[in-house]
Amino acid sequence: MYTVSEGIIRERFPHRWSSCGSYVLESMPFYHVYPGSQCLAIGTTSCNFRCRYCSNAYIAKEDPEIQQGRLYHLTPRELVGMARKFNCRSIVFNVNEPAVSLPSLLDVAEEAKAAAIPMGCLTNGYTTVESTELLASIFSFFNVSLKGISDSFNRTYIGVESSSPVLRTIRRLAQDRHVEVTTPVVQGANDSEIDTIADLLAEIDPEIPWHVLRLLPEDEMKDAEYPNIQAIDAALQSARKKLPYIYFHNFISSQWVNTLCPDCGCTVIERFSLGCGGDQLKRLFCKDSQCPDCGRKINLMSEQACFKSTQRVLQ
Amino acid sequence: MSIAVVDARGWQNTLDLKTGEKIETTGPVIDMVKGVLQRHPYPGDMDPGSNRWVSDTALDLIDRYGPRFVFLAYAAQYFSGRYTPMTKEARARMISDVFREAERFVSASGFAVIVVGTGDMTPLLGFINLTRLNGLAVCTHWSTRYAGLYEPSQDDMKVLGEHPHVERIIPREEVVGLFNGTPDQASRVPEYLILAREGYAFKTISDAMRMPVMIPSLNFDIPLHAPSHAVGAITGIRQALEKDLLEKNVALIAVEGVGLDEFLWPHLPCRNGMEWYYYEPGEAQYLTIVSGRHRFLDYPTGSGYKYFNGNEGTTRSYPFSGHFKSLPEGTFGSTFPGKSIAVGNKSMFMHMVAGADLSIECFARNLYNQGTMAVIHRQDKL
Ligand code: SF4
Repeated sequence: MYTVSEGIIRERFPHRWSSCGSYVLESMPFYHVYPGSQCLAIGTTSCNFRCRYCSNAYIAKEDPEIQQGRLYHLTPRELVGMARKFNCRSIVFNVNEPAVSLPSLLDVAEEAKAAAIPMGCLTNGYTTVESTELLASIFSFFNVSLKGISDSFNRTYIGVESSSPVLRTIRRLAQDRHVEVTTPVVQGANDSEIDTIADLLAEIDPEIPWHVLRLLPEDEMKDAEYPNIQAIDAALQSARKKLPYIYFHNFISSQWVNTLCPDCGCTVIERFSLGCGGDQLKRLFCKDSQCPDCGRKINLMSEQACFKSTQRVLQ
Repeated sequence: MSIAVVDARGWQNTLDLKTGEKIETTGPVIDMVKGVLQRHPYPGDMDPGSNRWVSDTALDLIDRYGPRFVFLAYAAQYFSGRYTPMTKEARARMISDVFREAERFVSASGFAVIVVGTGDMTPLLGFINLTRLNGLAVCTHWSTRYAGLYEPSQDDMKVLGEHPHVERIIPREEVVGLFNGTPDQASRVPEYLILAREGYAFKTISDAMRMPVMIPSLNFDIPLHAPSHAVGAITGIRQALEKDLLEKNVALIAVEGVGLDEFLWPHLPCRNGMEWYYYEPGEAQYLTIVSGRHRFLDYPTGSGYKYFNGNEGTTRSYPFSGHFKSLPEGTFGSTFPGKSIAVGNKSMFMHMVAGADLSIECFARNLYNQGTMAVIHRQDKL
């Protein structure tokens, strides 16, 4: 979060982290980046959205001032040192919106780059063109939350006027960054948009992995019904023909978390789904990002690609 | 094969508990359990109806399965007390509600009971920050008393040795020696175990983001309600259970987050560990209760401390069983010849620690309510 003093915008609580822990990348979720690897997951406080169903409301919506007592105070060097100590292959910002902490993240990125540790993030993508470029300079892989398309959904459930900035961000990042997209489905509110979202993503890049999440009713929606799994699965049928990497999860034992080869249909990556934030790699069958059966290239972020992209921007 | 039936609110899936693979199987026990799950959606860890869910689910299972041994865990007051600021009066009301719930279960089921409180809670006074050490400090976020330490520098040892809220630093050999550990067990014990003073919790990486308001006290002794038994230590509870089961149906009830100060039924103190060690609420405490021997070194993460495992992300067995990677041996349910069930709202380890024929538990991770899970270890007793 920022404050303005003497005409200058400053970060209110630089280098204060609400979370810092070692987890598997699948649990973020990132399904197409270094399968099965550990990442150092970090977050700060606050957000530029006010989603009615925020799972981290006690961090994203609470006044950051009153959270200071329990935050981690870690310098960029200490964070990167932590990532090393815990054998983390990457650092991922995953709790709240990274755009509210850009100066701190730029500092971490510099240190991480020196240590050859790539960074990724979960973002709501509601950023200006300039902020998007800053995010692209920090992170080499993204999971952008495209929460819904219609203005009325965005006004009612998210507290913003339109999804256009988010779509603009996805388009921009997909040009030269690894992008996955997430959409929590609120039954009766945005489930009718499933096909529209699939069309939009397919038009940007049909290789984009799309995580369709069953909404976990939390926060202001705590008393809402849990969305119907069969109904959402049925609604995804036609979308699956447009996007080969569609996952439907965020509930225990989902069977829609494996990666299938878009050409021959064989399973190239198997995962377990333990529900919200608990997904894990089960088996990785592809080698050198290729289908073991037909040799088709699978969209997996590789080591080389990632370092090339961060270096291009940061140097 | 042990079978898991998960109920993700309106959607059920049957799995092989060990591999996590989906399986197509039916049978009278599976169908019966599916019906129980459907009738009892879990209200949530901190919901006022959470403990009632435990009793109702157990009573439904008793009606249909007719067990002689029931293991229950009531944990709503542990979660609420840990994270919700409340007045003394509100806390007292909450605790008396748990015992009322236990009473309701007893009168509806007609079972004799042995009730154990897992330990008192105390207000959090502050954190012991271990994130800036040169060495590596690890701790589970549910634990407050113990943290593991690897490769500390001399400076680290000095800082920790002088820290006003650190009680002791115990080297691995002493930890292993206390419990006569095997070399395999020793390999999971950190180089040093750091002990916090009462009211303080460790801050290490991978802490939960929620701030606790109360944490477990130094519970060297815990309360035990076991009419007509004199049980001196936690390892003696199993014997009392075995004796009672010779004559009657028995329910063993664990009341989480309640210790000697707040236990409302007649009770005696029972030693909750050995020398400097006591069990924090968790898997190892339950296992020790039901197996009758100390299990501190078998299940480190569930004993309150954690060891560093660089391969945490790799494939493993029992993916739906929390920290367990194999079925623990020596559980009460696994050796008891009669029918047994377990029901609890303290997360997904009841089916492992109880070893009961049938278990039903909430599937909630970090308080996020995702539904319920039943585990069927035995189908042949119906
Ligand atoms: S964007 Fe994410 S963190 Fe921000 S309010 Fe929405 S759900 Fe919460």
